[in-house]
Amino acid sequence: MLYRVGVIQIGYSRHSDARQAVLTCVKPLLGHRPDLVLAFCGGKLDPGTVLAALRDTLGDVPVVGGASAGGITRQGYGYSGLELVLIGFSGAEVTPRLVVQDLLPDEMAGGAALGAAVRGVAEDGAVVLLLFDSVASHLPLRLHPASHIVEGFHRGLGGREVTLFGGGLLTDMNLSDSWVFDGAVLRHHAAVALVFPPGIAVETSILHGCRPISTFMEITRIDGAEVYELDGQPALGVIERMLGLRLGEAQGQELSLVATLGQKQGDPFAPYDENAYVNRLILRASPATGSVTLFEPDFFPGAKVQIMARDNALMLDSARNGVAAMNRAIEGGDNLLALYIDCAGRASARSGALTEEAEVVRTGLAEGVPFAGFYSGVEIAPFRGYSRPLDWTGVLAVLRRRG
Amino acid sequence: MNHRFPMSAGPADAGQMERELAYYRRECNTLGAGLLRLQEEQSQAFREARRSRTVAKLIREAYRLIDQSDLPEELGPPMLATVLENTLCDRAALLQEHPRGSGQFTVMHAVGLPAPALVPVLLPVVPAFFFTTSRSRIEPPAYQLTAILRVPYILWSYDETTGTALILGNQSESNVSRPFEDADQEIVEGALSVYIDITLRKRAEVEMREARIMAEEASSTRSRFLATLTHELRTPLNAIIGFSEMMATGSRYQLTAEQVGEFNTHVFKSASHLLSLINEILDYSALARGRTPLTLRWTEAGELVSASLGAASAAAAEREVRLATELPAQKLWIRVDRTRFRQILDNLLSNAIRFTGAGGLVGVQVVVMPDGGLRLEVRDSGIGMRAEDIPRALEPFEQIENPFSRSVTGTGLGLPIARGLAQAHGGSLVVESEPGVGTTVAVLLPAEAMHRGAAPPGGRSAEGSDPASPAGRPAEEAGAKD
Repeated sequence: MLYRVGVIQIGYSRHSDARQAVLTCVKPLLGHRPDLVLAFCGGKLDPGTVLAALRDTLGDVPVVGGASAGGITRQGYGYSGLELVLIGFSGAEVTPRLVVQDLLPDEMAGGAALGAAVRGVAEDGAVVLLLFDSVASHLPLRLHPASHIVEGFHRGLGGREVTLFGGGLLTDMNLSDSWVFDGAVLRHHAAVALVFPPGIAVETSILHGCRPISTFMEITRIDGAEVYELDGQPALGVIERMLGLRLGEAQGQELSLVATLGQKQGDPFAPYDENAYVNRLILRASPATGSVTLFEPDFFPGAKVQIMARDNALMLDSARNGVAAMNRAIEGGDNLLALYIDCAGRASARSGALTEEAEVVRTGLAEGVPFAGFYSGVEIAPFRGYSRPLDWTGVLAVLRRRG
Repeated sequence: MNHRFPMSAGPADAGQMERELAYYRRECNTLGAGLLRLQEEQSQAFREARRSRTVAKLIREAYRLIDQSDLPEELGPPMLATVLENTLCDRAALLQEHPRGSGQFTVMHAVGLPAPALVPVLLPVVPAFFFTTSRSRIEPPAYQLTAILRVPYILWSYDETTGTALILGNQSESNVSRPFEDADQEIVEGALSVYIDITLRKRAEVEMREARIMAEEASSTRSRFLATLTHELRTPLNAIIGFSEMMATGSRYQLTAEQVGEFNTHVFKSASHLLSLINEILDYSALARGRTPLTLRWTEAGELVSASLGAASAAAAEREVRLATELPAQKLWIRVDRTRFRQILDNLLSNAIRFTGAGGLVGVQVVVMPDGGLRLEVRDSGIGMRAEDIPRALEPFEQIENPFSRSVTGTGLGLPIARGLAQAHGGSLVVESEPGVGTTVAVLLPAEAMHRGAAPPGGRSAEGSDPASPAGRPAEEAGAKD
């Protein structure tokens, strides 16, 4: 019999009582006492109670992770905010090392400090899972820009090659709040990096679902995430003409349900390839300034963008194709954990898709691969050789032992 | 008819190319916009359809909760979880109005609310249905209702009949949680109705289960009662029939005169026992049905106790049990049915003597309680009982094992009858006991049934007439309390 070291176990529950949720969820983890627990905690569960109950049942084990708009496992999935997903890592061969960093006052600097700290503990080629608190402020709503965190992280790495993937944490689909578990306590405005041991590799697949519906337009005026002009005209007016309606304040807030701005990478006139696009969701529209605010501030003046429509049929096709490609890639490997970081906007309640795409992933993934995931605010994955934040995608990552 | 597409042939046609490019751009954007709108309409239609399905899904899932909970009170949290999952709201709570119609509500269950308010919420106006949007004015009841969940956008439904209310809330109107509207009445009222329905069903189920258990216990008790009764009646009857048969003319038994005399005594004793048994069964039956008429008169307690002790002295002497009494110096008058109260005392003394070994002591004490009531207790130094046996001793025919009198069994109705009679007098009967130490049975009478003084209230002797009643009027009759 082959002796295997290192175990990853998954628990799932949905209960309005946080303590009861933990007691149910933790059961599968009791077989092997975990050395670290990765927790994705529904935003309606009291995190203090969850932490205390985890301590009661598992002892003084580090708990990392944080809020999630919902949880996804083979056992069940949902986005009521009452889901709890626990992933227990037992054994040094699979248990990641933990690095924690504050994001304020400057996310770029915070990312750089995190990258530098990771450089100190990661070997070349290490797999790093990055999770961070998405909401920077509520009024006005501002997100911690993942593009700044990731850019800073790469700088901080100082040339160390790692495979970075991850996601932004959210308590719900309405971007109400977010927080992280840093191993010991609950924190706001912080990022955690899980640096996996050298024996662990990762295979990632990005699942898309947006289609261009306009010609190329040039961003002629932009300030951070605020796009003022497209082709020299107020950006909001351009989008309104596309939608064929006039957006007031309330409808402006719903723009993120309708359209995104996409930047095509590589040859702009190459045939359509969903993998060639970086999409940015629209956080809100401002009729007063004629601008739209994107989730990320990484577009720049002169960038050629297209208005993209979320296409639910395309999304489901992308999920099927991406999972099939992943199955081929991991076939025969020693697969430890499939982690699905799923943009909350892809959930049926928000996208309007007739089928839950998480269900497509869950049922499509090869049997026998432990599977867990969460609904996120932003997703980070290697994209054309460089990890970067993505919007309205699903990132399926399979951790496996290196051959 | 053929249309030839204009072909560019050189720089001279650059303008044509520009026009062509502009055409394609325009068409691309127009088609793209159409596609976007189509996609959005489809999504919108699906979201609307999803909302319509929500009520049906809620009902389906809520009814499943009935089987997952043991008590109606346990249904609240899973119901709220189901509501939140289906409506995708941030917070939800179930409230109960108490007193009904007061507008004062207490949060019974909440989900998504960090620290539910423990103090009641007072609503000056209680709407059956209500919601707030960004255009709502913050005035009653919006002010109070939004304060319950501490979010600006709420959806409320109230059921006046049961005083139950359901409130859902959102932090924002954007994204998934669109503004609440009139059409949401179906969802929130549907959810509340389902909750009330499953709660009532669960309550009925619990009550039915309890009733079934009680009925089963009652049936078991009745069966046990009938079995014991049959046995108790059959034993003396067998003796009567058997001895009578032996003494009958033409009997095959050749009895001596001495044997006839002895058997005759057995027949007489068995018949007497049977009679007392039947009398006690009738007494107990009347008490159980609340049909024991009492003739209440002021009676001197000491005199009643002395009479009862005197009657018991022969049995006590026979069993070598000493009798003692402790009465207050002052005369105490109690308003009782003399015959029935004697019956209580006789029963208690009989029991005490039977369960006390030779050389033991049975004492009767009369004490005035601080509340003005009277405590008349019969204490023995007998075998005593375990605490768990006391309730059994108060049940009919449930006799505690008596090592002193295995051959002489009582009817097993004495203590239950005594308790029933004490209750019929507006009092109560309590039993305290300890194995090996003894038993104390106390009859407690309320203050209004006791009087201290040389004479009873009204200054006349109680015997023969009711001093509280005008001369010539019949004595007061009171129905026994069950």
